[in-house]
Amino acid sequence: MRPLPRFRVHRPESLEEALELLATLEKAKPIAGGTDLIPLMREVKVDVKHLIDLSRIEELNFIREEGGYIRIGATTTLSDLVESELIASKAPALWEAAASMGSPQIRNRGTIGGNLCNASPAADLGPPLLALEAEAEIRSLDESRCIPIGEVFAGPKVNSLAEDELLTEVRFKTPPQGAGSAFEKIGRRKAVTLALVNAAAYIEVEDKTCRVARLALGAVADRPMRLGEAEEMLRGKELSEELIEEVSALCSKLVRPIDDIRASAWYRREMSRVLSRRVLLKAWRRCKA
Amino acid sequence: MLRFKLNGEWIECEAEHNETLLDLLREKLGIKSVKRGCNVGECGACTVLLDGRPVNSCLLLAPLVEGRSVETLEGLRDKPIMRELIEAFVEDGAIQCGFCTPGMLISAYSLLSRNPKPSEEEVRRAIAGNLCRCTGYVNIVKAILDASERLRSED
Repeated sequence: MRPLPRFRVHRPESLEEALELLATLEKAKPIAGGTDLIPLMREVKVDVKHLIDLSRIEELNFIREEGGYIRIGATTTLSDLVESELIASKAPALWEAAASMGSPQIRNRGTIGGNLCNASPAADLGPPLLALEAEAEIRSLDESRCIPIGEVFAGPKVNSLAEDELLTEVRFKTPPQGAGSAFEKIGRRKAVTLALVNAAAYIEVEDKTCRVARLALGAVADRPMRLGEAEEMLRGKELSEELIEEVSALCSKLVRPIDDIRASAWYRREMSRVLSRRVLLKAWRRCKA
Repeated sequence: MLRFKLNGEWIECEAEHNETLLDLLREKLGIKSVKRGCNVGECGACTVLLDGRPVNSCLLLAPLVEGRSVETLEGLRDKPIMRELIEAFVEDGAIQCGFCTPGMLISAYSLLSRNPKPSEEEVRRAIAGNLCRCTGYVNIVKAILDASERLRSED
C-alpha cells in the first residue's frame, strides 16, 4: 500500500468557485466522498497535485421533483438516496441499488456523482439510471451540457468528462403511476462487495400490454449496458413468465463479459440470465401493484 | 490550521493536506480507540461519527472535517446508550481480541440512536461494514439486541 501523494486540498463553497479551481489549477481532481478515490490513490500512482472538495457546495446536494423530472445533485450521498421517500416510491430500482452498496459507513460518504464518475463497469447506480433513461448535467466554467447517463462511462474506470468539467446533476422523468422498476445484484457476499453482475429493469404496462421495457446490466461489459434487443422482444407484448424467461435467455448471449479475479465470463453470462429474469419479473409485479 | 469539534469540544490542530482523519486522531491527538485495520474502508475498525453518522476515518482526509463534528468512543462512552452497549458486550462475551470492538460499538450506537427497537436483521445490516476476524458475530449481534432491550425497559 503506497502513501497518499502530496496534494493540496481546496474547499470551495460554491460551484462557480469549484469550476474556476478546476479550470486554473494543474493536475486538479474533484473529491466528493473519497470512498473510491482514496483507496485508488493507495493502490496505484495517481498524478494529482490538487483535490477540490465538493462536499461544502450546497447547490450540489439535493433531491427534488420539478417539472416532471426527479433531479438529484451530484454530491447526494447513497444514504440520502436510501432515506428519500421520493426515490423509494418513484424509483425503487435506484433505491435498491443505493441500499445494496458498500456499508453504512461507505453509504454515508459515497455520492451518486462519484459512483458515476469513477466509471467502474460494476457501478451499481449504472443499471438503474440507464433503465430510468437518466441524463447527466455536465458543467465547466463556460459551458453546460446534458448527456445520456451511459455516455458518462468511456471505458473501465474512465469517464468521458474533460479535466475542467464536473458532473453536477442527474435527472430522469418521474415514472408515471403504474410504472415499475427493480434492481438486483450478485456479489461474493451481501455487503461491502463489488457486483459480479448487476441488473435493473423499468417497465410500463397499459391495458395488459407492455408499452415501455428497459433493461440494463452491469459488470458484463467495459461499461454498464442497455439490452436493446431484449427490450424489443417485450415491447407491445402481453407479458408472461414464459416471455420473460425467453428474453432472459437471450440476455446471456447479448452481454460481453470477461474472466477476471472475481468471476468467469461463463458465470457472468449465466447470472445475466438469472438477474434479467428476476428484475423483469419484479418490475412487472410492481406495475401491477 | 484545522478547526473541528472533537468529542464535543472545538479543537485546533495542524494537519497535512494528505493526512487522513485516522492518522490525525491516532498519531497526533492520542485517540487510540480508532483502529487502523485495512486502511481502505472495508473493515470498519476506524469507524467514527462525522456529524452523527458512522464513516470510515481511513477514507476521510483530515482537511475535509474542517468545521464538522467528529465523535469517537472516548467521547461517547458515558452516553446512556453507549454505557448499556459496553456492558452488554462484556456480559455477552461479544469481545474476543477486541480490535473491532470500538468500531462495532460506534455502528451499534448509531443504530440504537436512530432505531431503539431494531430487528436482528437490522442489527446485522448496521454492522455490515465492521469485520470481526475472530468471527464472533453471534455474540456481537446478541449484545446489541440485549442493550436495546435493556434501554427500553429502563424507560
